[in-house]
Amino acid sequence: MAEIILPGSKIAMQLKSNGTYIENSSTYANVVGLFDDEKKQFIPLEGLWYPKENDNVIGKIETRRSGVYVVDLDSPYKGIIMSKFEHTRFEDGDIVEATVREFREFDDAMSVVLTRPKKLYGGILLKVKPPKVPRIIGRGSTMINQITEATKSSILVGMNGTIWLKGGDINLASEAIKRIEAEAHISGLTDKIKLMLEEKRKKE
Amino acid sequence: MQIKGISKEYMSELLNRKERIDKRGFMDYRNISIKTNVIPHAEGSASVYLGDTYVLAGVKLDVGEPMQDKPDEGTLTTSAELLPMASAEYEEGPPSPEAVEFARVVDRGIRAAELIDMPALFIEENKVWNVYVDIYVLNYDGNLFDAGTLASVAALLSCRMPKLEGKEIIREGALPRLKTKGIVTSCTFAKIGESILLDPSGTEESFMNARFTVANDENYIRAMQKGLSGYFTRQEIERLIDTSFEKSKTLRKIVEEAVKSGD
Amino acid sequence: MEKPQLIKDGKRLDGRDFDELRPIRITAGVIKNATGSAYLEWGNNKVLAAVYGPKEVFPKHFADPEKAIVKCRYAMAPFSSLEEHGRAGPNRRATEISKVTREVFENVIMLEQFPSTEIDIFIEILQSDGGTRAAGITAASVALANSGIPIRDMPYAVAAGKIGDQLVIDVNKIEDNYSDADVPVAISPNLGRILLLQMDGNLTKDEFSRLLGMVEKAGTKVMAAQRQAIMEMYKQ
Repeated sequence: MAEIILPGSKIAMQLKSNGTYIENSSTYANVVGLFDDEKKQFIPLEGLWYPKENDNVIGKIETRRSGVYVVDLDSPYKGIIMSKFEHTRFEDGDIVEATVREFREFDDAMSVVLTRPKKLYGGILLKVKPPKVPRIIGRGSTMINQITEATKSSILVGMNGTIWLKGGDINLASEAIKRIEAEAHISGLTDKIKLMLEEKRKKE
Repeated sequence: MQIKGISKEYMSELLNRKERIDKRGFMDYRNISIKTNVIPHAEGSASVYLGDTYVLAGVKLDVGEPMQDKPDEGTLTTSAELLPMASAEYEEGPPSPEAVEFARVVDRGIRAAELIDMPALFIEENKVWNVYVDIYVLNYDGNLFDAGTLASVAALLSCRMPKLEGKEIIREGALPRLKTKGIVTSCTFAKIGESILLDPSGTEESFMNARFTVANDENYIRAMQKGLSGYFTRQEIERLIDTSFEKSKTLRKIVEEAVKSGD
Repeated sequence: MEKPQLIKDGKRLDGRDFDELRPIRITAGVIKNATGSAYLEWGNNKVLAAVYGPKEVFPKHFADPEKAIVKCRYAMAPFSSLEEHGRAGPNRRATEISKVTREVFENVIMLEQFPSTEIDIFIEILQSDGGTRAAGITAASVALANSGIPIRDMPYAVAAGKIGDQLVIDVNKIEDNYSDADVPVAISPNLGRILLLQMDGNLTKDEFSRLLGMVEKAGTKVMAAQRQAIMEMYKQ
């Protein structure tokens, strides 16, 4: 059985995981999460994106200054693309996909240095809570592939919680993603989504 | 989950197909929900949800001096605050030009329509009722003008009239309504490229180059405001005025129902 | 105006017992654009709390390379009181409350996890009836839990006081106007820490100790309301 835990609550056992902290050899939750007594797991239900090397992220070009493009990642930190290393040119407002190379100080601010930036044409951007991203992708990408197949949309999921959708049945894809985000902690989700996608497709 | 943004390419594509992101028609409103008397301490109040735009209006009356040029009438002061909690773009501090324009446009519609019976607010020489309308924007998702007008008008129409007993103001208990006349509402349009959309959402406003608001009641245009640096043609303006008269029928009904059910 | 009789036949003016809280109802996630938010009704108090960030600090020179900085704005709407229209503009009482509220959250937010950023907490009192700073802190706590910003604990706050010789919990406006002591307290319950404590009036040391005990007892009900708000977001 899984129980919803509030931040500040002591988790029944010694555990080192995302969304928890240790004080005086006790473990406490620091975000709202689910504690699974059987699996001895704490699953954060809320949370922010902490920049990690090699994370794929999606954002919007905000401005250009001091030889870098500043990217809005809708996160605590901005991304930067260094023009001298990355040869693509961008314009303000462009949607980009990139990989985190490192997280360090640049120009007196902590920044997420991005590499291999690619401009994405068209499409819309969705924002989901970062802890739900793994569930939206699914183990071995099973969940996201299921959606792509059923909707024929191009979908790119950023670890920072920003998702790019283009073409196909964007509405159905958005709906599926919205549902996964809302029910990420409930079991049997993969089948429920499969059913939902099939039913909606039949209607057309 | 929220729609975070849409590319300019997809926006153009949608408009060319005569579609909007949320599948509305170009001249359709989002879902409107109005509740009156949400802040009982205030003499009048109303909350409005216009799509995800969430606005609260509060009305307070105090005894004070009239305006110099209108000594026999009460006064009306309309203010608006774009609360920093309503959007990442709003900052703390004195009202921005956007906030000031917003308050003044809503005020003009109400004042020109003579919604409030101002002479009835006269008490005696140099003593009148001052009406304060404060519009609080709590969540921004486009079209503050219409949400603000709906909230202010609903708050005024359901407002109770305080009583002056000697030097004391009685604000609670069985009080009559503030004397009002008619209903005024507004319709706001956004121009994106060559397309014109009614009730723009926040995302749509990020693409607009011109904006036009018409405040009207059953028979008259009461106020108009064109905003931003784009343009409208004469035919466009005249068409939009017609649309406002058409659409305002439903808006007036929604306000009436909200005022009635708040009783 | 002469002082009204605040206690009659062992009950308060609004019928409450001395250690009884007014009803509290909290809803989380009400301001879509915010990172986290909560709407709270506590007796006649109506409060909105919202959190933004962590985000870039402007101007840059205020940023702290070791941790996030916290900014807090507590403000009362001009239509919030039963009396006159409130004037706009800087208000010393609100400035002080903003500061002591900020200090509560600077303690519980794990600031070191987000160096060089800023976290903004906004508390708007839409309708007031005594104990608004306690209501604001209690709501902001839920807004923070809703936001996913890591926090050590979820503080709650209660406005305690003394009317005549009687110690009371959750003072409303009229009681506050005529009370003999006014004691707002904010507590970090899981770690047993007092994060806000103010007082003016007159209290013996013994009275204060007893009052703290009453606050902790009432606190379980405040926490239950906070918990309910979060649970409702994840209804299965």
